[in-house]
Amino acid sequence: MLEVNLAGIKLKSPLILASGILGVSCSLMKRLSKAGLGAITTKSIGPSPRIGFKNPSIIEIQPGTFLNSVGLGNPGIDLFVSEIKDFKKNNFPLIVSVFGYDNQSYIKVAVKAEEAGADAVELNISCPHSEVACIGIDETLTHNLVSQIKDKISIPLFVKLNPNVTDIIPIALGAEQGGADAIVAINTIAAMTINIDTKRPLLSHGSGGLSGKALHPIAVKKVYDLYKNIHIPIIGCGGVTNWQDAIEFFLVGATAVQIGTILYKGFKIIEEINEGLQNYLKENDLKSISELIGLSHNFTTQEVPNDID
Amino acid sequence: MILINSIKTVRIKSVVIECANIKTISFHMPQNKTDKYPKPKPGQFLMIWVPGVDEIPMSISGCDDSGNWSFMVKNVGECTDALFHLNIGDFIGIRGPYGTYFSLPSKKMSKVLLVAGGTGIAPLHFLAKMLIIQKIQTVIIEGARIYDELIFKNENNKEFSKILYCTDDGSYGQKGFASETFEKVINEEPSEQLKELTVYTCGPEEMMYKVFQTCEKRNIPIQASLERMMRCGCGLCGVCAVDPVGLLVCKDGPVFNSKTLREMGDFGKYKRDMTGKKIPLN
Repeated sequence: MLEVNLAGIKLKSPLILASGILGVSCSLMKRLSKAGLGAITTKSIGPSPRIGFKNPSIIEIQPGTFLNSVGLGNPGIDLFVSEIKDFKKNNFPLIVSVFGYDNQSYIKVAVKAEEAGADAVELNISCPHSEVACIGIDETLTHNLVSQIKDKISIPLFVKLNPNVTDIIPIALGAEQGGADAIVAINTIAAMTINIDTKRPLLSHGSGGLSGKALHPIAVKKVYDLYKNIHIPIIGCGGVTNWQDAIEFFLVGATAVQIGTILYKGFKIIEEINEGLQNYLKENDLKSISELIGLSHNFTTQEVPNDID
Repeated sequence: MILINSIKTVRIKSVVIECANIKTISFHMPQNKTDKYPKPKPGQFLMIWVPGVDEIPMSISGCDDSGNWSFMVKNVGECTDALFHLNIGDFIGIRGPYGTYFSLPSKKMSKVLLVAGGTGIAPLHFLAKMLIIQKIQTVIIEGARIYDELIFKNENNKEFSKILYCTDDGSYGQKGFASETFEKVINEEPSEQLKELTVYTCGPEEMMYKVFQTCEKRNIPIQASLERMMRCGCGLCGVCAVDPVGLLVCKDGPVFNSKTLREMGDFGKYKRDMTGKKIPLN
């Protein structure tokens, strides 16, 4: 009932682990794969080892809402290949999130991920507190990078969008025209918090990306807008804390949904969301998640009313 | 509403100089009804933020009923050096209390042995105070590099059945590691006496691994408190994952029991650095 087909990859649940959360070791990803997810996205992996920013780098700032500036800490693709290979022995869908410092290094990492056995590559062009974000704010740069990587790999390519832009649509179109197989919307929103006792930012990097509960309605709006403008599947990402949040994403146009921040409450939430989705489908006489996709677009919304004379 | 994953800034309330390079730092946490933090349990840890420097995991070494919490810091790196040089009244940031804790033995299992190496004494110090209240018969083995760094000798220790000291340089007590003294003690005990024993350990992981092996040979249940690099402290970053079980030291630990330690291939061998790369313990 919960099976979805995402760009040719069959998932037993539409819930995918979001990039940047826990996906750094085979053992942990294996444990998560048994917790009810449909696929795992790794942490963003770059061309070489990277320490990332100092702590504090992940903190909760409102209930269920986090701010992070990990700064793409990762062991580098050459070391990570063995974790991918180990994990793929279990035949569970794995999406490798990749980043680079220029198009060539992005390509290098993506190709190595495919060779190691990844089922798909997710392009991180959107980390809001790192230099790689610059690609994700420009439609031409995005188009060029996507099309160059598509030339070199044969597995599906997902593009995770940067919400810290004036208009997300042209960038999504750039990715789509470049050959992207799906869009992931959205990455974290650039944000900041100040400690008033010490008068300094709490994160060592100063600012970071907002994730969790507060991000959800923003992400829903982005997915809603994207669905009206692009044709490739959309993976909703941002503040899913329960099954209702996931349903919302499907209704505005998502084919699958990523979860991340909520896992601070433990892995049990995954099965709870799966169960909630199943019950909702039954109660609404629907046979599959795909029947839900975009249903909220059937409603006309009120235009700006004219002034009363 | 309190958020244990958000940073609460507090002023340092007191500093006890344990020796030239170890201090116990205390601070006060809010106690009013709307702002009350969960009372820490022995074995749990805090993320301690030194503004402008770094944020690191630290075991809680004590806590009283009026909300005074403390931790023990040995000056070994950039952040601990900064902590070491803070004064009473200075701000530090607190997240937590985090993680699992030592579970006290059931009343029947009334004998306890604590094995501490270096600043691994911190959570065991907290546990020891609890065991006294519970009137549980407690033997302590404390190992340190040198005489000065032994912590329990600074205390009124009449409540404990026995304290055995050892030092790496032999300047006090037995010469050698706490794990060696522990093995000697266990080997001298008749099996009958070991039946009611529970062992708690914290310290360098190689030492804890040896203590664990000794316990396994004699069928003694053990609880060990592990240490790993961490970003979040709350189960999101994955840096503290241990293979091959994929357990998180921050959330599934830091205190693990015999059953879990047996499954933990990394125990006593590997950790991860901040990039997530697996590296040998030392």
